[in-house]
Amino acid sequence: MITALGSVAALGASIAYIAASGGQLARVGAGAGAFGLGLLVLGLVLRWPTTIPWSILLVGGGYLLAREGHSVVDGWAAAIGVLLLLAAELASWSIEHDARIEAEASLVRRRIATLGGLIAAALLINFMLLAAAGVAASSGVLLAAVGVAAAVAAVAVVLRLLHA
Amino acid sequence: MTRWATPKLAGYAGLSAAGLLAALVFARPELVALTAPFLLALAAGLALATPPQLRVHVELDQARALEDDEVGARIVVESTTPVDRLDLYLRLPEGIEVRDGKNPVALHLKAGERRELELQLGANRWGGHVLGPTYARARDPLGLLVWETVAPERPELRVYPREDVLRRVLQPRETQVFSGNEVSRHKGEGIEFADIRPWFAGDPLKRVNWRASARRGELWVNESHPERNTDVILFVDSFAEARSGNEGTLDLAVRATATLANAYVGRRDRVGLIAFGGILRWLVPGMGTVQLYRIVDALLDTQIVLSYYWKEIDVIPRRTLPPNAMVIALSPLLDGRSVGALLDLRARGYDLTVIDVSPVPFTPRPAAGLDSVAYDIWTLRRDALRHRLQSAGVAVAEWRDDTPLQAVLEEVREFRRYARHAHV
Repeated sequence: MITALGSVAALGASIAYIAASGGQLARVGAGAGAFGLGLLVLGLVLRWPTTIPWSILLVGGGYLLAREGHSVVDGWAAAIGVLLLLAAELASWSIEHDARIEAEASLVRRRIATLGGLIAAALLINFMLLAAAGVAASSGVLLAAVGVAAAVAAVAVVLRLLHA
Repeated sequence: MTRWATPKLAGYAGLSAAGLLAALVFARPELVALTAPFLLALAAGLALATPPQLRVHVELDQARALEDDEVGARIVVESTTPVDRLDLYLRLPEGIEVRDGKNPVALHLKAGERRELELQLGANRWGGHVLGPTYARARDPLGLLVWETVAPERPELRVYPREDVLRRVLQPRETQVFSGNEVSRHKGEGIEFADIRPWFAGDPLKRVNWRASARRGELWVNESHPERNTDVILFVDSFAEARSGNEGTLDLAVRATATLANAYVGRRDRVGLIAFGGILRWLVPGMGTVQLYRIVDALLDTQIVLSYYWKEIDVIPRRTLPPNAMVIALSPLLDGRSVGALLDLRARGYDLTVIDVSPVPFTPRPAAGLDSVAYDIWTLRRDALRHRLQSAGVAVAEWRDDTPLQAVLEEVREFRRYARHAHV
């Protein structure tokens, strides 16, 4: 229940930002986001994990619509991306949770720590990405995307080495 | 181990691909920022995912138990690789429950760690129960991949029915030729005084009744009843049962059969078993503790199997039904085939007793309407059926769960005494 509410809250915060962004299509974007939120709630109630990516996609699409007419790179996109990930992770946790399985307390602590680490890393990467995009805006999105991919791949390699 | 991807993996991969593509199409770096966390989760999850090397097995403290006993079980799990989350589940058959311990359980294993999970299982119902399978499901730290395996061992727990204590059992009309505890109606070598008769050549001197001989002026000897054993066939009707919750007529019949078998084997009688139902089982009469174990083991496999095949008593092997054997049938009298077989046994001259394991307590009477009328008709027809059996010379007693078996046996005994007097 806590994880489900956290997921809804994270997605709700993203939608609130979309609605408050003041773009030409901000209301349409917020509407798409609200639809995504409804889909997420439906998925949580009916325990359908396949609704999670669709709800995230709808909120992301809403954000794209809300950015219509803005030429400056939005610094808050880093936080929105992390909120979307947080919403997806908490929703997955909520749907996966089975009250019949008695989990050790250490498992919950480990999962919170893992989620916290993932969120922190994602936030860091996003800030670095947007800073790089702001500095080298002329280089284009392709370069930014390649940069992201490289950063993510580097993190993955480090994690793999640590795990081994 | 079977590996499969969770919906989360496909979802995150799809979101990452869609986000990066949209970022390129719309030339918006913000979309890359929205996508990057999912890409990171995907990469980190796959990087951290290690196929687990698990060994799971299940042990039982004992392979045999009595009903309502507790049996210790142990799930041992070892892993040579770290497992972030391992879900373990020992599937339990009907009649076995967890009284203490965690099942299913989720735990974390370090590399090379061995864990033993103790469970206290309650044996609620008699029968041969096969525990398991034991499922183990491991996940990577971010829940993108799942590995599943099943423990190869499936230990068997044989739960024997709890027996009542009987002060005395039914005495058969006829005895057999071997020594036992039953005083025979015939005359011969024994302890129990029967009669006196004139002396004949060959009679031992110790049997001369000197007082009677002095009174009559010639030698008279004592005659006695020999102590013989009997043949008892326990007939369990497994064509149909009435069940409500965890209790049913078959449970009562099996418990009573085990109780009777124990009592008769203790008297040095030969005891046999016929489970007459969808699956026919029989055990040729025998004596001793080994036979008792055979009977109880055979009872554990008794179950209701739906069958439309019309069976008569002819299907039972001849050796299973020796002449002069006493047949004690435990039946809910729900199936016409078993009723027909019982009447057939009586017609063939067997000393038959029917303990009607009543299905009435397991079928509550409907409150009103046609159903309640049908219920009343059904109970009346049961009464008529019992009367029909009694008319054929069969001792019948209705047994309900709240009545001790001894009381039912006493009712049967009274009927048999009455019936014998009536025939005289």
